[in-house]
Amino acid sequence: MSPNLANQFGRFLIAGVSWIAMLYLALPLFVVIAISFTTTEYLKFPPQGLTLRWYWQMVSDPTFVEAFVVSGQLAAAATTAALLLGVPAALVFARKPFPGSQTLSALFLSPLVLPTIVLGVAVLQYASALGFARSFWALFVGHVVLVTPYVIRTSLASLSGMEPAHEEAAQDLGATPMQTFFLITLPQIKPGVIAGALFAFINSWINVEVSIFNSTAQLVTIPVKLFNYIQFNIDPTLAAVSAATIYIAVVVVVAIDLVVGIEKAAVNTTADTRT
Amino acid sequence: MRITSANAVFLMLGPIGFFVLFFLAPFGLLIGESFMQPGGGVTLANYTSVLSDAYYWGALLNTLLISLWVTLVCFLLGYPLAYFIVFHVRRAWMRRAIYVLLMTPLFTSNIVRAFGWIVILGRRGIVNTSLLMIGLIETPLDILYSKLSIVIGLAYILLPVMVLSICSVLQTIDRSLVEAARDLGARPSRAFLTVTFPLSLPGVIAGSIIVFALSVSAYVIPSILSGGRAMVTPILIFQQYTATFRPDIGATLSIVLLAVTLMLIGTYLIIFERRLRTVGEPQ
Repeated sequence: MSPNLANQFGRFLIAGVSWIAMLYLALPLFVVIAISFTTTEYLKFPPQGLTLRWYWQMVSDPTFVEAFVVSGQLAAAATTAALLLGVPAALVFARKPFPGSQTLSALFLSPLVLPTIVLGVAVLQYASALGFARSFWALFVGHVVLVTPYVIRTSLASLSGMEPAHEEAAQDLGATPMQTFFLITLPQIKPGVIAGALFAFINSWINVEVSIFNSTAQLVTIPVKLFNYIQFNIDPTLAAVSAATIYIAVVVVVAIDLVVGIEKAAVNTTADTRT
Repeated sequence: MRITSANAVFLMLGPIGFFVLFFLAPFGLLIGESFMQPGGGVTLANYTSVLSDAYYWGALLNTLLISLWVTLVCFLLGYPLAYFIVFHVRRAWMRRAIYVLLMTPLFTSNIVRAFGWIVILGRRGIVNTSLLMIGLIETPLDILYSKLSIVIGLAYILLPVMVLSICSVLQTIDRSLVEAARDLGARPSRAFLTVTFPLSLPGVIAGSIIVFALSVSAYVIPSILSGGRAMVTPILIFQQYTATFRPDIGATLSIVLLAVTLMLIGTYLIIFERRLRTVGEPQ
C-alpha cells in the first residue's frame, strides 16, 4: 500500500469508528423519544402513527406529577445549598490556600468518584441513627454532598482564570471584602458559577442511587419512580416520561452552551476528575 | 482577592461543617457498622464471612470482569472519536453538535438510558427484528438480560467520560511536534504511534481508570439490564437492605467496594503526580 493510500485509509477508519461511536451515543435516546409518540398500546419501533396520548397519560397521573415536583424541589434545594457551600470554599482554595487545603479540596471533590450507592447506604444508616431516615432532609443532605463538587470545580476554574489584580485594586481603594466579592469577583466568575449550578441541578435531578435508599412510597423522585415502574411495566407511558426527562437534559445542555460554551464546560467539568 | 485568616475560617465553616456532619460521619458510621457484632461489640466476622464466601467473590469478580470489558470498549470507540473531534472536525458548529451529543446522555438518568437499550436489544427489539427480517437469524437472540447487555449499556453510559478525558489531553498536544516528525520523513501512522499516541497516554489512563471505577460501582444499569441473571457487587449491596435485611453485610460489602474504588483512584493519582513531575507542567 502506498503511504498516501495508507493515510487515506487511516482517516477513513477514524471517521468510520467515530460515526459508529456517535450512533451508539445517539441511538438509545432517539429510540426512547420516537416510541413515546406511538399509537400502539405496546412499545413499537419505528412508532406507528403519532399521538401525544402517552404524554397526556403522564400529566394526568398524579404520582408522576408528584415525583416531578419532588425531584424539582430537591434539585433546587440541593443546588442552592451547593452554591452556598461551594463558592466560599472555592474562593478560599483559590485565594488563601492553607496547609491541608489540598487534602480538604480532595475531600470535597471525592463524591464525584466514590460509589454513589455507598453514599446512599451511608446516608440511610446515618439518618436512621439520627431519626430522619427516608425524609426529604435525608435526600437533601445526600444530594448536597453529591453535587457540591461540581460547583467547587467550576468556580475554582473561573477563579484561577481571573486576574486577581482587579480585586486587589478594589481592596486598595478601600472596598470591603464583601464589596470586592460582589462587585468585582462574582461578576467575573458568574459563568463558571452558573455552569456549576446547572451541573449540580442536573446531577441531583437524575440521581437514582442516593435517592432510592432514602425515599418512601409517598416521597419519590422521578428517576426512582421510573426505576420502580420499569420493574413491572414497559409501556409507552414509560417512554413519554423518559422522553420528558430527555427534553429537560437538552434544555440544560443548551443553557450551559449559552452560558460558558458546551465544549469548555464539557472538558473542564467532566474529563478532569482529578481530586 | 486578599482574604484575612479570620475571614477564611468564617468562609470554610459551612462547607467543613456540612461535610463532616453529612459525609464523613455517615461514612464513619458505615465503617463502624461493618465491624459490629449483632449483639454489640467489635468483630471481624462480617469481613471473614464476606471474604470467605465464594458467592460474594464471584460477584466481585464478575463486576471487575464486566468493568474491564466496558473500559476496553470505551477505549476502542472513544479514542478514535476524541481524535476525530480534536484533529478532523474543522467546522465549529459540528464540533459543538458532537459535544451536545456527548453531554445529553450524561444529563439523562441511567434508568432512561437503560430503557433505551431494552427497546433496542429485547427479544422483539430493533436488533432482533432487523436480523430476523433480513434472515440472518431464525429465532430472536437473547442479547438482553445477559452480561453482554450490561457491557453494552455501561460502555454507552461511560463513553462520554472517556472521550472527554482523551480530548482534554489531545487538545494540549503541540501540533508542531507531529509536523516535525512528518518533516523528518515519518509516515502519518508512524508519527501517530511515536508522537501523538504516547503524548495522549495520560488522558487514556485517566479516562480508563475513571471509567473502570464508575463501572465497578454502577448499580442501575446492571440491575435493569441483567434481568437477575448476572450478579454484581452493587446489586448485592442493594439486596442486603431491601431483600435479606442484613445491613451489617451490606455495610461490609460497601466498604469492600469503597476500598476497590479508592485503590483505583489512588493508582490514578500516583500516575498523575508522576506525570506532573516528569512533564513539569503546572496545573
